[in-house]
Amino acid sequence: MEISGADIVLAAKYLAAGLCMGIGAIGSAIGEGLAAAHALDGMARQPEMQGALMRTMVLGQAITETTGIYSLLVAIVLLFVV
Amino acid sequence: MSGIFEQLQGLLAHLGEKQILVLRVLGAEIRVDWRTIVMSWIVMAILIGLALWLRRALRQPVEEKPNRTQAALDALIDLLRSQLGSSFASEQLAVRMFPFISTLFLYVLISNWLGIIPYLEAPTQNLNVTLGLAFLVFFISQSLAVRHRGIKSYLKGFLEPSPVLLPMNIIGEIARPLSHAFRLFGNTLAGTFLITVIMVKFVPILVPSVLTMVFTLFFGAIQAFVFAILAVAYINVAVEA
Repeated sequence: MEISGADIVLAAKYLAAGLCMGIGAIGSAIGEGLAAAHALDGMARQPEMQGALMRTMVLGQAITETTGIYSLLVAIVLLFVV
Repeated sequence: MSGIFEQLQGLLAHLGEKQILVLRVLGAEIRVDWRTIVMSWIVMAILIGLALWLRRALRQPVEEKPNRTQAALDALIDLLRSQLGSSFASEQLAVRMFPFISTLFLYVLISNWLGIIPYLEAPTQNLNVTLGLAFLVFFISQSLAVRHRGIKSYLKGFLEPSPVLLPMNIIGEIARPLSHAFRLFGNTLAGTFLITVIMVKFVPILVPSVLTMVFTLFFGAIQAFVFAILAVAYINVAVEA
């Protein structure tokens, strides 16, 4: 089977999209896990603060998630647009 | 092997297919995705219909015992007020902005949940819808900042902590609505992609329905809440700083 330039471009696209998503998700996953862990710590210490802690945790996680969403967008662009 | 990829790409390309309608107004071309517009109208119709239906339950003297519908509505408003309304910087701001924020929350929530009905799709899957909502929040927060702090203090805020950082401040201000919009769009789209791929390629029964519930109902509600609470946070920052 002949391997042409277009095949290499296609392979590079899929590889890049996979790497982008996989590596890009590491940061936001660690960040969200840290936020959840510390919120749980706080809730265990002060159960009466649960509501406020939950709200702040979700807000913080949403902001942390932005980098993961950016890598998802880059992966989508690599797959369907480039 | 390449066959699978081509099939998958064909499937996913179909998923993002846009029904483009081209309008010509005064020589300019306006391209709109009519499917998304119709879906937004459906969401609006659902919300307005619900509001009209619930209003009928309220037509009675306040002293009377509330009926079931009214109790449910009270619980919803209480929930929104305790979760969203209590996050505002000041009581005055909360009174003024709570209707807008809760409307935003309900609109995004119903939009996200619309995807669960066959043949319908969530309007928030289209970046233009989420960008529109995010820029609405952006303009409202900027105008509130000007009104609360005065135009002089507002413009001076861009020169702090030092005038060298002016471009940074402007970019930071513009990046806010963009990340606000991309977050909702990316989350909704990722859920749909994942469900479609699993449904077509791996398990066609049972698993996709559970995944749909998790992604559409649970994450949809979380994302709507996050969208609203971030709007509150942006308005707080704009008014306070």
